Amino acid sequence: MKFGTRNTILLGIASAMVFSTAGCSGGLLSGGSSGTATTSGTVKLGMVVPLSGSSAPTGAYMKNGAQLAVDEINKAGGVLGGRKLELLVEDEACDAQQAVASANKVVSEGAVVSVGGYCSGATLPTLPIFQKANIPMIIPAANSQELVAQGLANVFMINGTGKQQSTTALAFMKKSSYPTVALVDDNTSYSKDITTETQSQIQKDGSVKVLLNTSVTAGESDYSAVVRAIMSKNPALVYWTGYYQEGGLIINQLKKAGFTGAIMVADGSVDPSLVKIAGQGAEGVFATMTQTPDTLKGAQKWIANYKAAFKSDPGPYSTQSYDAVRLAAKAIGDAGSTKGADIIKALSAINGFSMFSGPLKFTTEHTLSSGGFVILVVKGGKFTLDNALS
Amino acid sequence: MTQLIWDGLFVGSFYALIALGYSMVYGIIKLLNFAHGDIYMLGAFIGFALLTSLGGIPGSLSLVALLGVLLVSMLLTGSAGVLIERLAYRPLRGAPRLAALITAVGVSFSLEYGVSAIAGPNPRAFPVRLEGGVFQVLGARISLPQIILMLIAAGLMIALNTYIQRTSTGRAMRSIALDTNASLLMGINVNAVITRTFFIGSALAGAAGVMAGAYYGQIDFLMGFIIGLKAFTAAVIGGIGNIKGAMLGGLVLGFVEAFGTQWFGGQWRDVFAFAVLILFLTLRPTGILGERVTERM
Repeated sequence: MKFGTRNTILLGIASAMVFSTAGCSGGLLSGGSSGTATTSGTVKLGMVVPLSGSSAPTGAYMKNGAQLAVDEINKAGGVLGGRKLELLVEDEACDAQQAVASANKVVSEGAVVSVGGYCSGATLPTLPIFQKANIPMIIPAANSQELVAQGLANVFMINGTGKQQSTTALAFMKKSSYPTVALVDDNTSYSKDITTETQSQIQKDGSVKVLLNTSVTAGESDYSAVVRAIMSKNPALVYWTGYYQEGGLIINQLKKAGFTGAIMVADGSVDPSLVKIAGQGAEGVFATMTQTPDTLKGAQKWIANYKAAFKSDPGPYSTQSYDAVRLAAKAIGDAGSTKGADIIKALSAINGFSMFSGPLKFTTEHTLSSGGFVILVVKGGKFTLDNALS
Repeated sequence: MTQLIWDGLFVGSFYALIALGYSMVYGIIKLLNFAHGDIYMLGAFIGFALLTSLGGIPGSLSLVALLGVLLVSMLLTGSAGVLIERLAYRPLRGAPRLAALITAVGVSFSLEYGVSAIAGPNPRAFPVRLEGGVFQVLGARISLPQIILMLIAAGLMIALNTYIQRTSTGRAMRSIALDTNASLLMGINVNAVITRTFFIGSALAGAAGVMAGAYYGQIDFLMGFIIGLKAFTAAVIGGIGNIKGAMLGGLVLGFVEAFGTQWFGGQWRDVFAFAVLILFLTLRPTGILGERVTERM
């Protein structure tokens, strides 16, 4: 989901090149266990997610979600006739270098499927590592178009993409009849992806008018410039596609400046902190977001299981990570082996596998055929499901 | 138009408060204290910790509580500045300037990631928020909190100016800025004066940090980075080493940003601010009020 700055990406790609060569030779020296099929012992799933840094809370949600699925599958007898699953979790810290080192580690420890990936900027440089080892990747959260843009056979995304998010945003604008809109991003790839895509879809559609498409610099406190620009155009809806920290400040400052239109944020801003930072002004703010356990219908039993196992509430991307592990187990079962090529074939062939986001069938570019984005609204200080699109 | 001027003035007064510390330290020991922006961050976090420990404060008392916290935070950040000077900069007093500069960058990172390790890397919402009425003045929206904060900023700057112009310590500061060795020969306790300079500069930055937290409502451990660079820019614009220049530079930078973004769009704000820095460094490195600096041995 997250996407670092351009520099981080370039740096990441550069270091990925260096590290992936090193990773390969390491794999050979250690007996070639990486990516080759195993016939006995546990079946290892690698999970590279942020466990430190500002995205650490989400990493913990993902790790728990995945662990829950692993435990359930093992209890039910494991895969491939009684072999247990084992989850190898490593930290990516939302940082390209760290992610590359961690990916190499899980590859050398013999993971047969990768079920991690939260920050797109940190996940991108790990693609060649898993690809060289011929390990299929089921990415639960990271959703930049660039992850699938290279057309790698082993990469599968089970979170909606920026494109699908834009489609949902536009559908909401039309349905709630907002005639004019201002698009604001924070100049990072993830955020800009959504505003650019939304703008082009709006232009194709023609029923909504974009009055303003601008960017702010992340990490500042004063956003009076963008607030002034928005106030002078006076759009019916402001769509912010960056993260919650700046989002909260912008909402707060817009309200202080007397803005009366509606505000909508993208999935990077859906966090309880947004409400804390924005204060009173957060009430009634809309968001485009994939389903979280809180908003899913019929997830109560699953939430109860999660709480019983980890003594805490599930959070964003718990369900996707849970599904990623189940999907991996299903594909391994279908393939009848832990060989990368077989699992990839099985994944591509899956049709109608039941997940939280609905029945699964991958598109030809290995993304979900429907993104599963919904509209949330802040009510009583919490993000709740809005039925605007249903 | 009036809105632009007001917004520029408001943001500019924050820049000015922080720029003062940059300028004072540079004026006296010729050190670019890049950790100064992080003192601002430290002030915000100290204010956060104090207000959180006070617990629930009724709305009517929030301004009083905030002023009290502001004072205590200033004392603590001032002391932190003194400590940093004593531990990191004084041992390098005779070393080449580059060594001191790199130490300053190191101190900056230590502060940022030290706070991140203690308080956590996630942004925090400030417990007390300044809310208040809004007035329409000549077409600009001016809020009561903005007025209060600008009055505090102006008060601090006037007090500083009086202190430097009227007291003997102030005179000592000015004389050290002119010639350290001669001041030493005249019996001025140079180290004590430098300590005091760091205290005052850091206290002002800490005050700005608490004020920013209370006004914008959110703080995080990297909040001092960009504003530190902006304050440095403001100090250069006004003439680094010059107290009045720092105040003027802060306001000028606020205006430049407000008008620049109006004409070129919000995404150009920082490009504009730092382009002005480069322009000044090439065309008029002494800034608006700076005097020609001669190299001393």
